[in-house]
Amino acid sequence: MDTFLSALFSGLSGGAIYSVVALGLVIVWRGAGIVNFAQMGQAMFSTYIASTLIQNGYSYWVGFIVAIFAGALIGSLLDLLVMRPLSNKKKTELLSSESMRAAVPVIASLGILAVLQALAGIIWAAEERGFPSPVIREGFVIGGTVMPFTSFDIFVIGTVFITLTITTLFFKKTGMGLAMRATALNQEVAKLSGIRTNHTRTLSWAISGAASSLAGLLIAPTSNLSPNSLDLILIIGFTAAVVGGLNSPAGAVVGGLIVGLVMSFVTFYLTPEDVFLSILVLLLFVLIVKPRGIFSGKDSRRV
Amino acid sequence: MLKVENLVTRFGHVVALDSVSMVAAESKITTVIGANGAGKSTLLRTISGLERPTSGEITWFGESIVGLRAEEVVRRGIAHVPEGHAVISELSVQENIEMGSLFRRRKYKSDVAAAMDEVYQLFPRLHERRNQLAGTLSGGERQMLAISRALVSRPKLLLLDEPSLGLAPLVVEQIIDTINTLCRSTGLTVLLVEQNANTALGVADHGVLLALGKVVADRPAAELKADASLRAAYLGY
Repeated sequence: MDTFLSALFSGLSGGAIYSVVALGLVIVWRGAGIVNFAQMGQAMFSTYIASTLIQNGYSYWVGFIVAIFAGALIGSLLDLLVMRPLSNKKKTELLSSESMRAAVPVIASLGILAVLQALAGIIWAAEERGFPSPVIREGFVIGGTVMPFTSFDIFVIGTVFITLTITTLFFKKTGMGLAMRATALNQEVAKLSGIRTNHTRTLSWAISGAASSLAGLLIAPTSNLSPNSLDLILIIGFTAAVVGGLNSPAGAVVGGLIVGLVMSFVTFYLTPEDVFLSILVLLLFVLIVKPRGIFSGKDSRRV
Repeated sequence: MLKVENLVTRFGHVVALDSVSMVAAESKITTVIGANGAGKSTLLRTISGLERPTSGEITWFGESIVGLRAEEVVRRGIAHVPEGHAVISELSVQENIEMGSLFRRRKYKSDVAAAMDEVYQLFPRLHERRNQLAGTLSGGERQMLAISRALVSRPKLLLLDEPSLGLAPLVVEQIIDTINTLCRSTGLTVLLVEQNANTALGVADHGVLLALGKVVADRPAAELKADASLRAAYLGY
């Protein structure tokens, strides 16, 4: 029973973090039609900013809020400096085929990841450093036994729940959310409707950047911080996004939780070495059975 | 009033529009007819800002709109319904219509809802299906949806590209009738591109015949319709 509870709670709290990563991926996919592999690079960078502030005597929350805004800023800069100029390239030249045009931003995002990691290495040195947590990371004690979940887990799950609610409402209920969805789905029709697609794309990058920073801040206390420490998280988060469906914010969260639970149960009941094998099996299974993800409608685009 | 002067649009070495001049008179239906590849769609796409012309001038009530992005052209009251029932299948009917009035939602808040009611009155079938995804609609309903999306932006000029494409004759008639009524009752200016010359000339006030990117005739619609030699030479019937 204890093992089961431990696996359940560590799965939920780990899964919540993958949910935020997946959420960031979903937002850029929905808003700009790009799978952004630089995302955890952005998260790492803004978490370093928070870490530097905290080391210099500012409170955790100052670091937290500055990092969220820095994440939004980095996201919009990437769009303005890299993605927008790329998408404005003439249709002729090298980028004649549709698949090439779709691949270029993805390759660019890998390049951005490399640049961000190198920059972080130059600025903050490449050794690992710790990162504080806002609440105590010891298990609750109920009736003399230490329970397998901590107030940090609750903080993580709560933050993720709030973030998901806000993003879902934003996409579903606001005009700007509709404009962002329209831009991602059909840029020409969006433009003809009077939507300033350049602005909505930049906004998607900003929101996604903020969400990734949040993910970085939530992961760092358990994984420590180094220029490469979040690479693996991106792969897991990407799996979560595909499992849930790249189009759906709710799917991202459910996908994240499923991946988190699978990983945690495999760790507790089988061996930790099988964790990555298990998420690959999960990914394969979803791609075969429901290739557009659990939460995608039947008309959404292919992953 | 829309005035096009010596408009040239090229795609690489292909000259799609070769010094086209024409006007779309206020509160009238002007139709641009011609065979496949005559440059009709390119003309509309250049006016609405989707394509950049190589040279030439487009003025809208005296102001040049050449080089403006498509999203800015709509905001000046020129709405374009491109070829092929341009709706977003993954969004609901309601969202597709809403999309067209997003840019007006702050400045003209009360009118946005009114505009929406009006298009639902015009096409009650869309109202019945407002919560369905646009992808589930029939071809005719999609065309109505694309037109509705354009109308809620409260355009003064409607650019319609082949609304009859792939639709049953009865549906075509219904759509053309609606456009005609709109023009006559609200003073909407319409620039209608059609391959189906007979239908278009039947409803239009003025007709422009394009062939290989050049204007070969620019006359009242009734005259064009009556000219058997032009029809035989350029439209093949």
